[in-house]
Amino acid sequence: MPITHEDVSESFRRITLSGRLDGPGTAEVATKLAALSTAAKRRVVVDLTGVSFLASIGIRAVLSSAKAAQQGGGRMVLFVGGNSAVTKTLEATGIDALVPMFADAAEAEKAALA
Amino acid sequence: MNLSIRVDSGEVAHASTWLGETGAARGIPAEPLSRLDLCVTEVVANVIDHGGAGTASSPIYLRLDVHRSADGGEASVIVSAAGARYDPLTVPSRPRPRTLSEAQPGGLGLLILRQFADALDYSYSEGQNHLTIHVRWNEEDAP
Repeated sequence: MPITHEDVSESFRRITLSGRLDGPGTAEVATKLAALSTAAKRRVVVDLTGVSFLASIGIRAVLSSAKAAQQGGGRMVLFVGGNSAVTKTLEATGIDALVPMFADAAEAEKAALA
Repeated sequence: MNLSIRVDSGEVAHASTWLGETGAARGIPAEPLSRLDLCVTEVVANVIDHGGAGTASSPIYLRLDVHRSADGGEASVIVSAAGARYDPLTVPSRPRPRTLSEAQPGGLGLLILRQFADALDYSYSEGQNHLTIHVRWNEEDAP
């Protein structure tokens, strides 16, 4: 499954994306990501450690959902672990300056709940 | 090495798979190959999504060239597509948003291209747009 989620608490959700985010199917993932991220005042960690390829269409999905979460009073942060390819892409596009990004899962959760 | 693909979003992954396998077989190290793959994916996706009717009627052609020397190497992919002249290199860079609320979803493909390619070239001939993506590496960086 390219997108799964776990409700850790009533207000905290972990969403996991996996596989390639570069073409067909990404639009559907984007729709689901937005729906999962924007519940009222939801705090979200999006786990990108299993994403094997992140193209601009995938970044747009993350960015749109992060904006929507913020507008709804929530917060989204990204957990990238040791995924250097995804990290480099997010850094090169400046997304890491807009949506907090962490290599450590505990720090990501702490930032989301802050 | 050449590949032709249909103007169909399902072909984006096909092009990426071809490049990954062919590039590795031609000795492109993993890091520059990854950058080249990402750039080519962005260009192909943009052609498919925004090329218009004039583009959809003909295949997209990809040509991979690899040159290696004692010091390092260079790999380039020429992406050729039919249609009206469009030079993405003339599109001005957008200022980086300062906040998430300022951020706009557009322009990321071109930003990726400019950040990850070592050089870009554009030409237009016989009704075809040709965009060449170059990546380079030093031999000391190769595995």
